[in-house]
Amino acid sequence: MTSPSIEFDGVWKKFQRGELHDSLRDLIPAMARRMIGRAPRKEELSRGEFWAVRDVSFSVKPGEALGIIGPNGAGKSTILKLLTQILTPTRGRCMIHGRAGALIEVSAGFHPDLTGRENVFLQGAIMGMRSREIARRFDEIVDFAEIEQFIDTPVKRYSSGMNARLGFAIAAHIDPDVLVIDEVLAVGDLRFQTKAFDRIKEMCTSGIPVAIVSHQLERIASLCTHALLLDRGSVVRTGTPVECIETYLRNEWTSDPAGGGTLATTIESIEMVRSGGPARSGESARFILRGSVDSSREGPRSCAIRVREMNTGKSLFAISTRECGVELPENGRFDVEIELQFNVPPGVIAVETAVWDRATHRDLARGPSVTLQLVEGIKFAGSVHMQPRMRLVAQARASGKGALADALDPRG
Amino acid sequence: MTDLAIHTTQLPEERRRSLTGDLRTIAVNEIWRYRELLYQLTLRDIRIRYKQAVMGFGWAVFMPGLIVLAGTLVRFAMAYMGGSKVELSEIAGMAVKAIPWSFFVGAIGFATASLTGNLQLVSKIYFPREVLPLSATLAQCFDTTIGSITLAIVLPFLGVHLGFGLLWVPLLALLILMFTAATALFISCANLFFRDVKYIVQVLLTFGIFFTPVFFEPRMFGHLGGRIMLLNPLAPLLEGLRLSIVHGHNLVTPLATTAANGTSFPTWSPWYLVYSAVWAVVGLIASALIFHRAEAVFAEYV
Repeated sequence: MTSPSIEFDGVWKKFQRGELHDSLRDLIPAMARRMIGRAPRKEELSRGEFWAVRDVSFSVKPGEALGIIGPNGAGKSTILKLLTQILTPTRGRCMIHGRAGALIEVSAGFHPDLTGRENVFLQGAIMGMRSREIARRFDEIVDFAEIEQFIDTPVKRYSSGMNARLGFAIAAHIDPDVLVIDEVLAVGDLRFQTKAFDRIKEMCTSGIPVAIVSHQLERIASLCTHALLLDRGSVVRTGTPVECIETYLRNEWTSDPAGGGTLATTIESIEMVRSGGPARSGESARFILRGSVDSSREGPRSCAIRVREMNTGKSLFAISTRECGVELPENGRFDVEIELQFNVPPGVIAVETAVWDRATHRDLARGPSVTLQLVEGIKFAGSVHMQPRMRLVAQARASGKGALADALDPRG
Repeated sequence: MTDLAIHTTQLPEERRRSLTGDLRTIAVNEIWRYRELLYQLTLRDIRIRYKQAVMGFGWAVFMPGLIVLAGTLVRFAMAYMGGSKVELSEIAGMAVKAIPWSFFVGAIGFATASLTGNLQLVSKIYFPREVLPLSATLAQCFDTTIGSITLAIVLPFLGVHLGFGLLWVPLLALLILMFTAATALFISCANLFFRDVKYIVQVLLTFGIFFTPVFFEPRMFGHLGGRIMLLNPLAPLLEGLRLSIVHGHNLVTPLATTAANGTSFPTWSPWYLVYSAVWAVVGLIASALIFHRAEAVFAEYV
């Protein structure tokens, strides 16, 4: 028995823009050739065609979870459709060894006139479950979806949240050998999303091969063992989720040309002063920013740094030299030393530079940036370490119920 | 996991090689492995047909009943013009043929839209698409079963004594089912690529009753006319049902009738049955293969 796995080997997929066939005159001979299996396999593109997936290869083995990321139209969903056999590749081969569970369009098979119960069996069968299996896990599914009272109500009377929850619950109970997930992490309300995510995490860590497509990058980062960055059908890079996310976001956020040349301040470089060992969450790191001021030009005589959390692309902190009390020289080159304390959780952090408008903080020009990986340092939960100070002000005596109350009672 | 199913998407070139390989794939990997889905979809089609329907199971009897009524009317008119009498057995014969005809019309009607009506499924989730037209056909079997039971109760009142001729019914029913499934597969697939197919189907099903011996018997058209009428693959099957049920005829024996001018011509031959059987078997294989090969591009054309 082959161990379950996903294989994608030199796959190309051709699509056509616009309507698929212009006229019967073109179509009927083409169909006839296709039927008798003698269609000439065109290796090159004809008019209006494009490669939706271009020479993509990867494999996912047990214990691995592959995250597929990239901008819209990169071919992510096409890859999942190829994997799940909805589409066939133009060239190359793709296969799934083992029973594939797909968390894709989890309620697509629902019929509005049927009750929740009837739909569970129907959707389960569409996803390849046996009736016995569904019957055995039925209570679990209904429990998970939290719709006990409505299970015998036609689905057309469900709210969209209930619909999605039931669909997810069914898909989450398939027990597949291989799991394929497409953007279903945003299901129902916040509480259910957390529950769904935990469930997916549980499935991912159970050791089966997983392939995930998502725009929620922090989820990819926390679920996947490796990642694949796509753009317009081609693989841009493979590697750890953090590496791919970094490349992706760098392309996304810093696509503007690093202006300069017309402004008074020009930023040449920023680099991290190596202190040996990686940067730790909660600790400080030092950077040197180099640039120059040309007094003959317009624009602010100041430069700014912006700290960005790369998983989400969220800007954490930004400040300019002027706001820090540093006056740049009237003219000529300068070096600025910057020390930042990273009171944020571990992750990939970028320190970007820019020249910005003093009043609006809008970027006038962008400079180079530096990326670092924060590893676990001080322990805390949440998104920022608020430098808490705690001290014990009261302590109960070893025995006696009212002791603490006595100690705290101001009249005591 | 008890069954480790391996589904593989291979190079299209490799897959297009052998016909028998394709047939095995259809039968084993697709239909048999997804039999639960076929069952569930059939159940779905039956359920939604009777949910929020006032007449409920009445529909299963209503349609063939209406056909018999219309046929009786036509026959009375013909008898009046020709100066003959309408025999009870003729009405019984129409009733016997009305059931399979309404099965065919119903099944094809539902199957035509089975792929296009499940767009969401076809473009989003993988499963063998054959199950959609097949489940539409099987769901119609449910109606037909109710109709047949009603017919079995009514027939004795029309003077029919059910006898050994009934032994032919399972074979004839199977052939009708196969022919219907073949048509359903082909038409649903064609309708996915060309949406105007459903209008053609509608017209054919509406007028098909005049080209199929439901109201009539082929012998009414004389020697040549009768033969032409029996070219319709459904015709020998319907006639076979009438002869075996109403007349208790053993279909292996040919029948002949005497025309008004005194000459005798054959009205039934077992070869008609063979002819229909070939249509059913070859048709089913061919349409399954066409469907299977077109299936790969369904999601792109839908």
